[in-house]
Amino acid sequence: MTRRTLLAALAVMSLAVSGCTSNGDATTTVEVVSTDKECRVAATQAPVGTITFDVRNDGNDVTEFYLYDEDGAKVVGEVENIGPGVTRSMVVEAVVGSYETACKPGMAGDGIRAAFEVVDTG
Amino acid sequence: MFSNFLIGLREGLEAVLVVSILVAYLVKSGRGDQLTRVWTGAGIAVAVSLATGALLTFGPRGLTFEAQEAIGGFLSLLAVGFITWMIFWMARTARNLKGELEEQAGLAISAGKWGLVLVAALAVGREGLETALFLWTATKAAGSTLEPLVGAFFGLATAVILGLLIHRGAVRIDLRRFFSVTGALLIIVAAGVLSYGIHDLQEAGILPGLGAVAFDVSGAIPPSSWYGTLLKGTINFSPRSTWLETVTWLAYTIPVLTAFIRKVRPTRPVPGRSAVPAATSGAAR
Repeated sequence: MTRRTLLAALAVMSLAVSGCTSNGDATTTVEVVSTDKECRVAATQAPVGTITFDVRNDGNDVTEFYLYDEDGAKVVGEVENIGPGVTRSMVVEAVVGSYETACKPGMAGDGIRAAFEVVDTG
Repeated sequence: MFSNFLIGLREGLEAVLVVSILVAYLVKSGRGDQLTRVWTGAGIAVAVSLATGALLTFGPRGLTFEAQEAIGGFLSLLAVGFITWMIFWMARTARNLKGELEEQAGLAISAGKWGLVLVAALAVGREGLETALFLWTATKAAGSTLEPLVGAFFGLATAVILGLLIHRGAVRIDLRRFFSVTGALLIIVAAGVLSYGIHDLQEAGILPGLGAVAFDVSGAIPPSSWYGTLLKGTINFSPRSTWLETVTWLAYTIPVLTAFIRKVRPTRPVPGRSAVPAATSGAAR
């Protein structure tokens, strides 16, 4: 049991390490303001690489922020538990393509969606 | 303020519920000396979560969405395994308390020593990182507004108080009913944790079927309402569940609950055998 537990712990740790991203200058930061009615994404596109969405909740309800693929079905990134007054970051490594952003005030429904492009700058 | 309070309450309940039942069990069965292990496990989980959360919030590195979901998902699955083990360990030691050799009860306890630390650590730690990230971002916001931090703090405090009340109530009921009720309750909790873990892994793209929704009652039970919060915090009820979550929930609950009921039932006095039900509470000491 101990060995199995250790292996599981190692697996989780290696996942954690490989899932780390740099918070430094190499990333593009996109500001997002979510209210009870609106989802204001500061940009409609970003260069390929690490993109950090800083999502601020200016509403009264708890909100969530999602990045979906083009079809709007597969989740590329998600950050939940954004309480009123709180700013939380969502870090994604996105490949070139079309995406959809969504704020979900009240944590239910399809959310307030908008198109988002990740473009090749090279 | 109220919304932040509800987040704190939900995340707090998820951690507190299992721990308070475990503590009640140990106190109830006269194993109060084992409590240190529970506090050790819970303490390690809190410390690791807060440290990791702080590092990710203020440090030079963040965590990708997939990694966070995968950690949450796998820890949830691991937690379900250990909670299930704990339920049957509790049932076994409960039977041992009812007349079997003292030595055997002692053996079961010693096997459970590290198990107790692990169960407590996983129960608190599986959602610990998410809670820590929420707390640290609320702290970060404290420069402009204190509301999120105060709300979160009161939410967590309320969860702890509810845990204490559950513990008090649980300690009062008689021993046999205590084991049946807490065992059944923990199975429902564990089933919720399991489907929650499945959902995390579906969101991370490790498991398929995120779009295949079995039911969506978020109109009737909004996740941001207080009752939605309580349902989510206690039995991990998700008003919008995928087929995979629902099927996994049933595939866990039905056999485990059946096995548990079978295991608990023979402890009742069987006619023809000289059972000693009156001595149960005394034998615990």
